[in-house]
Amino acid sequence: MNDNAMQKSALSPAMPWILAAAILIVLPFIFTGGGSITIMNQIGITIVLAMSYNMLLGQGGMLSFGHAVYMGIGGFVAVHVMNLVENEYMWLPLPLLPLVGGLVGLGFATIIGSFSTRKAGTVFAMISLGIGELIAACCIIITVFFGGEEGISGDRTMAPPTFGIEFITQKEVYFLIAFWVLLSTFCMYLFTQTPVGKMANAVRDNPERAEFVGYSQRWVRYVSFCAAGFFAGVAGALFAINYEILTEQNLNLNMSFQVLLATYIGGVGFFLGPIFGAILFTLLQTVIGLQTDLWALYTGLVFILMVMFLPAGLTGLFAMHMIPIQLGRVGMLIKPYSKIFFPGLAFVIGIIALIELINHVRHHGEEQFMTLFWVEFDTTSFVPWGLFALMTIVGFYISRIFAKEVAEAWGEATFVEGERS
Amino acid sequence: MSVDALKLDNVKKNFAGTEIIRGLNLSVAQDERHAVIGPNGAGKSTAYNLITGRYQVSSGKVFLKGEDITNLQPYEVKRKGLSRSFQITNIFPKMSVFENVRCSLLWAMGYKYSFWHMVGNQSKLNNDAEEIIEELNLKDRRNTLAGVLSYAEQRALEIGITIAGGSEVILLDEPTAGMSVSETEYIVGLIRKVTEGKTLLVVEHDMGVVFDLADRISVLVYGEIIATGTPTEVKENQAVQEAYLGAAMEEH
Amino acid sequence: MDLFIINVIDGLIYGLLLFMLSSGLTLIFSMMGVLNLSHAAFYMLGAYLAYQISVITGFWVGLIVAPILVTILGAAVERYGLRRVHQYGHVPELIFTFGLFFVIEELVQYIWGRSMVNYDSPESLNFIAFSLAGGTIPAYKVFMLLVSVGIFVALYYVLARTRVGMIIQAALSYPKTVESLGHNVPLVFMGVFGVGTGLAGLAGVIAGPSLTTFPGMAFLLGSIVFVCVVVGGLGSLSGAFIASLLIGWLQTFAASYNIGAADILIAMGYEFPKDVYYHPWRDLWTLTLPQIGPILPYILLILVLVFKPNGLFGKRET
Repeated sequence: MNDNAMQKSALSPAMPWILAAAILIVLPFIFTGGGSITIMNQIGITIVLAMSYNMLLGQGGMLSFGHAVYMGIGGFVAVHVMNLVENEYMWLPLPLLPLVGGLVGLGFATIIGSFSTRKAGTVFAMISLGIGELIAACCIIITVFFGGEEGISGDRTMAPPTFGIEFITQKEVYFLIAFWVLLSTFCMYLFTQTPVGKMANAVRDNPERAEFVGYSQRWVRYVSFCAAGFFAGVAGALFAINYEILTEQNLNLNMSFQVLLATYIGGVGFFLGPIFGAILFTLLQTVIGLQTDLWALYTGLVFILMVMFLPAGLTGLFAMHMIPIQLGRVGMLIKPYSKIFFPGLAFVIGIIALIELINHVRHHGEEQFMTLFWVEFDTTSFVPWGLFALMTIVGFYISRIFAKEVAEAWGEATFVEGERS
Repeated sequence: MSVDALKLDNVKKNFAGTEIIRGLNLSVAQDERHAVIGPNGAGKSTAYNLITGRYQVSSGKVFLKGEDITNLQPYEVKRKGLSRSFQITNIFPKMSVFENVRCSLLWAMGYKYSFWHMVGNQSKLNNDAEEIIEELNLKDRRNTLAGVLSYAEQRALEIGITIAGGSEVILLDEPTAGMSVSETEYIVGLIRKVTEGKTLLVVEHDMGVVFDLADRISVLVYGEIIATGTPTEVKENQAVQEAYLGAAMEEH
Repeated sequence: MDLFIINVIDGLIYGLLLFMLSSGLTLIFSMMGVLNLSHAAFYMLGAYLAYQISVITGFWVGLIVAPILVTILGAAVERYGLRRVHQYGHVPELIFTFGLFFVIEELVQYIWGRSMVNYDSPESLNFIAFSLAGGTIPAYKVFMLLVSVGIFVALYYVLARTRVGMIIQAALSYPKTVESLGHNVPLVFMGVFGVGTGLAGLAGVIAGPSLTTFPGMAFLLGSIVFVCVVVGGLGSLSGAFIASLLIGWLQTFAASYNIGAADILIAMGYEFPKDVYYHPWRDLWTLTLPQIGPILPYILLILVLVFKPNGLFGKRET
């Protein structure tokens, strides 16, 4: 099938990109609400950031705990440039601002990467952590550039109009972001197809052997690192355009963790993984974040469980299912999957409800009633507690029993005679 | 007489004060197939690591086609035209067989750290990679991840990565280790085919393979070459006999 | 001069506290090759658990029970979490512990709320041990010092004199060999992870009353502890010890000597700008040593990693 797919894509390599462009153009006419456009803008920024992060982690095997720094620096400079443009010290149309952010990210990565990419693994991770903490701490000290605790802000509408557009509405900004998302994704895809992009994978897999085929592992990492810095800077400038403000929060360790989270949930081993990750993560953050103040706890737990049980991420889960689909045995999975679905759902609902109940009683104890899953009930009564506890326990046990069936069915559905492993 | 393809001049190596390689002298002529044999722990793999820059030599010189390559980085040694394989399979496990071979071709074909070429469009690069895969007999495994190949296939790929890029001097480290008779035949045939017209230095335990393949043999014992000569000469050499018998006695 | 002595004592206490964390971290790293990024979260957990226990039974029970609870929790994390992730390699292990840090932080806020809790030193230690002309040293700080020194001595004894210590020592230098000698490596891993996190928990228990117990306490100390182990050299206990003391003093002294950049600049012959708050170099003119104190460890970390990637005393390649 691989050859088949290749031939297909060889016929029209531009097809996925045209499709993506079409989707990006149509989207704001489907989701017209101001809120959804805001979310889509946020998703677009996160996509660029997560994809650039995956250039390091997924393609280059470099685990960074400070990737938000490159986005943040790019964003801060973008706001400063915006202000310079406003005060007519310089002239720059707004759609070109991401390029400035990218160049700043690239420049900063060129400096840091010159020593941090010497080694991979723990040393690289620790340097990235140190740089991250250092820059975050500098935010408070260097107020001229970072603006202290309140950060710095600008006004995007003061830039010279581009073809008459002044980027006053969210929708106009959406198209600017969408354009840069598509362009960045395209460039990052091309990067994976270059000699140095291929060697990044080789160095990730086996740095020593890469040296014996003629490449310095350090230089290969350095090039990837700089490229990732560039696109992080682009994301930063897009952030600056969208929110018109940057603070310490945009480049601290917490933000870097969120980048890691979004990328990892999507799947680091796949080019498209970070896109799915960014979409899902932003939706969780904005939608669930409105429903509960415990969203960070949930995402953290989901993240840990994914690292433990699904290290290939969501895209990896899809990719796994390509095998039974190819073998035409996907039908074997439907029954066990549907069997485990309801007990699993009961368990998840039960445990979330219990967590929320306890949270409500502890921190909003004065209010007797609470609303959960669109139902209002009395937290002092035994009924919700008993019901949710029962759902949790029973759901857990039944899921465990069915999990075995799922595992067996999976084994059968993916079994290939004579396959060497 | 032309200059030696590879020459070691009194190379020494200490590990924490212990001399592992005690003055190694070795000359491999152009287009020669040269084998290094010796008992376990004689320093054969260490010698390879010293030649290819994996370890730093303590003293002495290494010359490649007359050029001093002592203590260069591994990638510099490779760029000068010397490739090596590994005793323990050393491939890119999460990349396909094709990608493995193609990556090994990149530097030699002058792409360097290019981020402006698209590898997919480089027809010579791709054709060369396909040819090597064909030579390796791995055509039907072209798109398989290298990590899931069988052992013999991985060994073949190991050799493929080594010869890709057209280095003139090839160092193979126990290419048939841990193989069945039929697999060994396959690999020996492969080595013959792909190192045609190149200089080959091979470390090998299987004496059948050595006598079959080599023009000349050097015997390495305790970090020193005790004899060099044609297979027949080496077989009849008194010192070699003693060294091998002695080592065999100590092992038991 | 008196301020100097007080700073020396304060820095020593802080440094020994850091060592309680960094020693556990170093042991875990040496044995398992994992840099436990959630280490400081266990420190925070120790403080909160001790607080909860102290509410019911008083300080002294918490001092004993909380570290044991943290040890059990740590062992459970190794057994049910880390061991599973181990098969995927080192990078997922780092990612796992990094995620765990945030989860524990969220859990602590979930259970105990987002503001600080009222975890106090015991009544019996609420007096001033001695005073020097400029300031005083409370008895609780002396107690902290004694506990830290006690732990240091105990750790030294265990590592240098007992069989378990010998295995751990051997594993520091030759992890593979120890494994092949037939020691129950999974059990040793679980034990070391448990004890390492338990030490962090104990540090939290005794630091809680003095440095305040609040949800940001892990974050505040966490990165500093990594600086200690990396600067000292990953896998080197003595390196971690020296680096911990060094950073303890560095931060304490930086925080208490209010030297401003302005003083230096004026001494160098520059003129203090009239309207300093609108001056382009205002940040430089208003910069003080206490301000840059918090970033000194990171500068040290980066310098060490750039010029001596194995750390000051590290032998192992990382």
